[in-house]
Order: sequence, then structure tokens, then C-alpha cells
Amino acid sequence: MTLTDITFSPGSYLAPAVDWLNANLHPLFAAISRFIEAALGGIEGGLLALPAWAMIVLITGLTALFISRRAGLLAACMLGFCWISGFWSASMQTIALVSVSVLISVAIAFPLGIVAARVKRLEAILGPVLNVMQTVPPWVYLIPAVMVFSLGKVPAIIATIIYGIPPMLRLTTLAFNQVPKDLLELGQATGAKPRTILLKIELPCAMPTLLVGLNQCILLSLAMVVLAGLVGAGGLGAEVTRGLTRMEMGLGLRAGLTIVAVALLLDRLSRGALEKRTARNPV
Amino acid sequence: MNPDDFADAFDARVDGALEWLSDHGAAVFDLFDEMLKGLYQAVYWLFSLAPFPVMALLIGLLAWYLTRQLRFAIGAALALGLCALMGLWSETMSTLALVLTATIQALVVGIPLGVAAGLSETLKRIFEPVLDLIQTLPPYIYLLPAIALLGYGTATALVATFIVAVPPVLRLTALGISMTPKVFLELGHASGTSAWQQFFKIRLPFALPSIMTGVNQSLMMAFGMVVIAGIVGSGGLGEVIYGAIRTLDIARSINAAIAIVILTLILDRLAQSTTRTTRRVGHDTH
Repeated sequence: MTLTDITFSPGSYLAPAVDWLNANLHPLFAAISRFIEAALGGIEGGLLALPAWAMIVLITGLTALFISRRAGLLAACMLGFCWISGFWSASMQTIALVSVSVLISVAIAFPLGIVAARVKRLEAILGPVLNVMQTVPPWVYLIPAVMVFSLGKVPAIIATIIYGIPPMLRLTTLAFNQVPKDLLELGQATGAKPRTILLKIELPCAMPTLLVGLNQCILLSLAMVVLAGLVGAGGLGAEVTRGLTRMEMGLGLRAGLTIVAVALLLDRLSRGALEKRTARNPV
Repeated sequence: MNPDDFADAFDARVDGALEWLSDHGAAVFDLFDEMLKGLYQAVYWLFSLAPFPVMALLIGLLAWYLTRQLRFAIGAALALGLCALMGLWSETMSTLALVLTATIQALVVGIPLGVAAGLSETLKRIFEPVLDLIQTLPPYIYLLPAIALLGYGTATALVATFIVAVPPVLRLTALGISMTPKVFLELGHASGTSAWQQFFKIRLPFALPSIMTGVNQSLMMAFGMVVIAGIVGSGGLGEVIYGAIRTLDIARSINAAIAIVILTLILDRLAQSTTRTTRRVGHDTH
């Protein structure tokens, strides 16, 4: 027996464990699936409830009203492109996928980030974990998700949530660590309750950095959601995958350009919100 | 205008244009394809020269030389040994070769452009929006133009990886070059250095830590992309995962994922250690 004949496959030991999980924790996974599918269905239904033109007008109007006229124009152009390229419902699916995963990512990362900013030991533990999470290629996240949730939208969202947590968590911690000490002391001196200090002093100070984190979280989630087209997540990622694997370049490029439009839309809107916020109360 | 009409017209136009391109530019693309493949195969040949125990040992030694941490070096060698035991040795090496080939290409293009952008404000303003755009879009879509022109295979993976890997090093090189302290530039002027000396003796040493950070980031971006490029037949671990996910072969996909994580950790640590070394040297010189 030579050296090359020895083989060892951790995967074949872990595969039964995964099977066991699937067999015994099935109700839990099914509940998670149902919850995610319901949230996704709700948002997707909302986005597709109005006809495309009405939705474009509505979003453009809201953007122009709340952010700026330029952002409104951009939103109109980008959404218009999504519509004219024939991928309106796929675009809305992608946006729904991104929204659900970003919401859950933020719901997990935001409180954890605040706690990490206060408890230094937690920050020290999380640091290396986040480092590894951010260097590992996104592909790898799809594997455990697919093993537990099979193919479809749910594994895509789970992988996206996990991928979106590190940037948000990191920047939340940073944001709360950066709050000026004298402001906190001022709060304590005036006898404010911890809750009031958190809401009235820390949160406003941390807001610009938090919005940077949100912007990164959104863009990374979009990248992951598109990649998840490979595991049958639907939306624009599925169209790109179709184009790539069937060599239908027209279709693929069209979907690719639509993704560009969606990326620009999400990036500029979240950045527009950030700029407006910093312009209003410069910290 | 009806979206469907537009979509059909667009598809027909793109297909027509691609057909024209591949009819008339076949020689150029074939040459390009051959060049990229040749480069990759040369690097892969280097990696497959030695059998795996020797190679794992060599990488372990390199890790020790760069980081001076015995534990990490032994860990790296053993972890690579594990890749071989899982039957993924040639895939691991081909992934490594792809990453290095693409990173080298990105550095060859990115560093000179970055230097130019660091010296000229106009050029910087031209590059800025382009780099922003490249970094905003999901990396997955860079496979599209590449596969359209070069077809299924290694060359496509290299081109897409190249696009993703250029921005970090370009940006950080430009930053490093433009951040040279004014006093030192004036000192150089006063002591009558030529423009070349000014650049190599003053600007470059100051920019080196920033450039190395850029190289590090480019390497990691390239690694992420190479794995994604498995879908276009790049070979290596990405393709193993793609195949295993599609057939739901759990054991094999876990193995490939472990191999990827091992490679990520080793590459990241090695790249970071070089950044740290240059930073130390940079401090010693002034």
C-alpha cells in the first residue's frame, strides 16, 4: 500500500450527521422554511401587486420626495430598465430576496453588534470568527444551506443571511465604539436612563456608520442572492445561470445588465439616505 | 414599446454581434485563449512538479519563513496533507494555480495603473467611477462577457477573476503613491534628485505598505472569484463543489468546502504576513 492509496473523507462521516439532523429536526427546519417563504411571498406579492408602470411611478415619487430629485430620476431609469428588459417579475423577486435577507441579517447583527461594543470579551471572540467568515468565498456558504434546506429559495436566503451578518455586525460595533465619550458622560451627568442614552445619544451618533454597514450588507446580499441562482433561488440569478449554462448569451447579458440596474438602484438609494442623514445633522 | 419586443430585439442583436465577433475575431480570441491557458498550465505544472508530501512540506516551510510561527507552519502542511487524503490534491493545486495566475495578471496591470493614478489627479478621477462600478456589481456577472467571447473553460475564469482582482490593488497603490509626505518630496527636490530617484527612493518605499495591503486584498478577491468560476469549467475546487451541489453529493461537497476553507486560511495568513513584514521594514527605514 503506497501513500497515495490512503484516503480519508471527513465528508463521509459528516454526511450521516446531516441526514440525522434532517430526519430528527425536520419540524424545526420546516418551520424556518415556512416562515421565510411566508415573508418572501408577502414582500414579493407587495412588489408585484401593482402593474409595473404604477410601481415605477410610486417608487420614483417616494424617492424624489424623501431623498432627492436626482435619486428619483435614477430610480426611474433603473426600474424602467428592469421593466423594458422583460425581467420585471424576476427583478422584483431578487429585490424581495435581498430585502428579506437584509432584514433578518440586520435583526441578528444589530443587537449582537451593540452587545459586542459593550462587552469587550465578546468582541474579542467575534473578531477572528468574522475574519474567517469574510475571507471564505461566498460559494462555501451555499453548501451547508443546501444540505439542510435542499434546493430553492430558502437555502439561498439562509446563505445570504449568514453572508450579510459580518459587515453589519462589524460596523455596528465600530459605530457604537466611536460614540464620543464626553457625550456619554454628559448623558450620565444629566441623569438620563441607559435606555434614553442609547436612543437619544448613542444611536444618532452611530447612525452614519450604521448606514454604511447597511449599504455594504445590501450589496453583499445582492451578490449572494445572484450567486444563489445556482441553487434554484429564482430571480435574476436564475436567468444569468440559464444564460451561462445554455450559452444563451443574449438572455444572460440582458439579465446581467438588469442586475447592474438593480445593484445601482439599491446602492444609490441606501447611499442617498446616508448622505441626506449626514447633511442634516453633521456629527 | 413592449418589453417582449425589446427583449427579443436585444437578444437577436447580441447573438448577431457575438456571431460577427467570433467570425471575424476568432484568431484574436483564440490567441488570447491560448495565451491565458498556457500561462495557467505553466503555473500548474510548477505546482504539480513535486508529489503532494513534498509540496505540502514546501508550503509549510514557506509559511514558517514568512510568519515565523511554527504552529501555523505545521498546521498548514498538515491541512494540505488532509486535502490530499480527501482525494482533492490536484483540484487544490489547480485552484491555487488559477488564483496565482489571475493575481499576477491583476498586479501587472493594476500596479502601474495605480501608480499613474496616484501621480495624476485627472487619471484618478477617470478611474474612480469605473472602480466603484466594478466593486458594486455582483462578481458573478463578470463571467458573462468572458464566456461569450472565450467559451467554456479556464481562460474565461481567468478573465473574470482578473476583472474582480484589479480594483483593490489599483486603488490602494494610487492611495499609497499620492499619500507620500510632502516634506520628504521637498527634501528630495532640495537635494536635487532626478524624477526617477524621487519615485523609486521616496514615493515607492512610502507606498509599499499600502500596495502590499492591495495585493493581499486582490489575492483574496481572486480566490473568491476562482471558486465561483467553477460554473464555467475553470477546473479546481469550484467545479467540484458545483458538480457536488447539483448532484446533491453531500460528502464530496463537504470535503471540497473543507479544502477551500483550508486554502483560504493559508493564503490569507501568508498574504497578511507579507504586509506586516513590509510595514516593519518601512518603519526601520525612517
